[in-house]
Amino acid sequence: MSLRQLLLRLPCYLGASGPRRGPLDTISSVVSWRGQSSRSPAHWNQVVSEAEKIVGYPTSFMSLRCLLSDELSNIAMQVRKLVGTQHPLLTTARGLVHDSQNNLQLRGLVVLLISKAAGPSSVNASCQSYDMVSGIYSCQRSLAEITELIHTALLVHRGIVNLDELQSSDGPLKDMQFGNKIAILSGDFLLANACNGLALLQNTKVVELLASALMDLVQGVYHENSTSAKENHITDDIGILTWKEQTFLSHGALLAKSCQAAMELAKHDAEVQDMAFQYGKHMAMSHKINSDLQPFIKEKTSDSLTFNLNSAPVVLHQEFLGRDLWIKQIREAQRKGRLDYAKLRETIKAGKGVTSAIDLCRYHGNKALEALESFPPSEARTALENIVFAVTRFS
Amino acid sequence: MASSWWRWRRCCSWRPAARSPGPGSPGRAGLSGLRAATAAAAAAAARAQMSYFNLVKSLTSAFPNMYSISRFHHMTPAVCCCSKTRSGEKYTDPFNLGWRDLKGLYEDIRKELFISTTELKEMCEYYFDGKGKAFRPIIVVLMARACNIHHNNSRNVQASQRAIALIAEMIHTASLVHDDVIDDASSRRGKHTVNKIWGEKKAVLAGDLILSAASIALARIGNTAVVSILTQVIEDLVRGEFLQLGSKENENERFAHYLEKTFKKTASLIANSCKAVSVLGCPDPVVHEIAYQYGKNVGLAFQLIDDVLDFTSCSDRMGKPTSADLKLGLATGPVLFACQQFPEMNAMIMRRFSSPGDVDRARQYVLQSDGVQQTTYLAQRYCREAVREISKLRPSPERDALIQLSEIVLTRDK
Repeated sequence: MSLRQLLLRLPCYLGASGPRRGPLDTISSVVSWRGQSSRSPAHWNQVVSEAEKIVGYPTSFMSLRCLLSDELSNIAMQVRKLVGTQHPLLTTARGLVHDSQNNLQLRGLVVLLISKAAGPSSVNASCQSYDMVSGIYSCQRSLAEITELIHTALLVHRGIVNLDELQSSDGPLKDMQFGNKIAILSGDFLLANACNGLALLQNTKVVELLASALMDLVQGVYHENSTSAKENHITDDIGILTWKEQTFLSHGALLAKSCQAAMELAKHDAEVQDMAFQYGKHMAMSHKINSDLQPFIKEKTSDSLTFNLNSAPVVLHQEFLGRDLWIKQIREAQRKGRLDYAKLRETIKAGKGVTSAIDLCRYHGNKALEALESFPPSEARTALENIVFAVTRFS
Repeated sequence: MASSWWRWRRCCSWRPAARSPGPGSPGRAGLSGLRAATAAAAAAAARAQMSYFNLVKSLTSAFPNMYSISRFHHMTPAVCCCSKTRSGEKYTDPFNLGWRDLKGLYEDIRKELFISTTELKEMCEYYFDGKGKAFRPIIVVLMARACNIHHNNSRNVQASQRAIALIAEMIHTASLVHDDVIDDASSRRGKHTVNKIWGEKKAVLAGDLILSAASIALARIGNTAVVSILTQVIEDLVRGEFLQLGSKENENERFAHYLEKTFKKTASLIANSCKAVSVLGCPDPVVHEIAYQYGKNVGLAFQLIDDVLDFTSCSDRMGKPTSADLKLGLATGPVLFACQQFPEMNAMIMRRFSSPGDVDRARQYVLQSDGVQQTTYLAQRYCREAVREISKLRPSPERDALIQLSEIVLTRDK
């Protein structure tokens, strides 16, 4: 069975319903992105599809490719048993298959682009023997896949459920236990593949970089869990600086260090590696802030749309207001213990949180563009710039 | 999978005729009788293409006393007596010998876990409290010294070799943390498991974190061959768990499946850690293979005895509940052997002991059968193989300690 056939079948396995975009479809017409309206899916897809042409192939499902060993039939079968249960793994799996914005395999694409943008090292000629396709070394392509593997592994591990917090609405305990089991094993399987891939690169500096990125990512996910809202909807008082540190860990570190590792593989010097790191870091930060802003800038939002109380606009809003006033606002937005998100959203929009989040997003976007300036002009560099423009445009 | 089983079977084949007769062994006539009989039986088995299962059964039924532990314990040194067992130096307890290099092992591991968040740090350090057996690090440092001495009589352990000991223990612990969540275990090493104290979500993250710290330490050694060797372990651990998820219907397949799972889950780490230190200490690939084979055979024996202890020991000694494997639906060595005598166990094995009363009935069957003895006998075979391999190295206190360690594996009770 070819990759395409298998991937087209996966949605059926997962009991998916609703509108689906074909995973391997690309947008045929290339329209200048400047003419498009801000964050329409068509615009984002377009930036991505142009980028994919530059690197040579569609990068969706990079991490799922590794599952195409004999284990896939086992994992898919096991995940199928979860259909009808409430285990988060099912949602994660569906998200991986459906090409939604949040689960876009962005990291891999960025690593490929920056590899191409940097080109071969002018100083060090020892990479002459590596094979290069579309301006990217095969080891760098491998690295892009490894990055996606690590990201997906933690995505899966995020979906573990605490068994003693289950309620009767979550369904039978047995299902949750089984779901946990499959989630752990699948995540571990992806990590094992990532480790093997790293070993094959025969470069211990790169192994160290990616291993430390994994460590950062795990700590970032841990913070996400810990600072999520408790029963009374009041989150920890973290402040924007701490938020930045934690977001770097959970969203920035992997991309930043992978970009740096891609430079190391091509034997670029420390300065180039640092620029790649900076691009990765700032681009990831602005992407996260953009994603946090979505509930606050969309014109039509349903009343039931919830948002994360630890997202950038909310944290900034809280910081401007001061802790006590913020808690008061939350209490006012509560009705019979349930939070009225629509009301809270209006309250936040009326404050300074949203605008300063937009400023922060643009700040990081600019830092990313600055880092790109040290790379020679090329198609790949333009694509990287376009990605930054796409995530910082809010009008 | 099948090929590894057949390979194992060939290397564990009966070759008593090749050994020189042991001096002073009890029942010398019995020994030569055993040799003749086993040689004949082995030939017959080869002709009939009997599975290992049946071979063991026929031999052990012919010699009902030959597989008792104490008997073999006396016989083993004699049978394996090669010309250079004694190195002339004082024979010390292998654990003491190994610990000389491992002082500060747990402090050093904790240093690798440079985590700022208090709770997360606490979770990751939870098992590095000095109360584990530290079996794997001990083997690793002893092997390191044995290889170094063999190569150039160097009595030092390199820093990188010691790092392997830490890394092996960290990888092992990371897999334990995940396994406990998967098995919903409540206690280990005499205390509550990480998942019971902090919940499943955080436990999984802690396991990932320990693994990442181990990988960083591994990368810092700066040797790509060693990185490849140990990342293989990480893959084997996961594949071993997957093997445990599935089950086989055919009896012979089941046993091969069990051995493969045992290799991947337990022996691979020990085998590859030994190989890694030998690579760091010595350029000779023959030595690397010796180290690997020693580790693999000791690892297999270790797990087999662990499976036996799950039936014969009581929970207090072990620090974790017994009949644990049955309760998880796992059919280990003693069960598989018992099933030969009591075919009614087949149905229970297929449904993974899920019906009420299955666990107790299965346990009774095992204790009534010779499943425990057979598994122990198999473990003894592996240990003999391990000793045979390690004896090829130049004599040293560490090499002798490794020999003694393989015997301790057989006689431990927790």
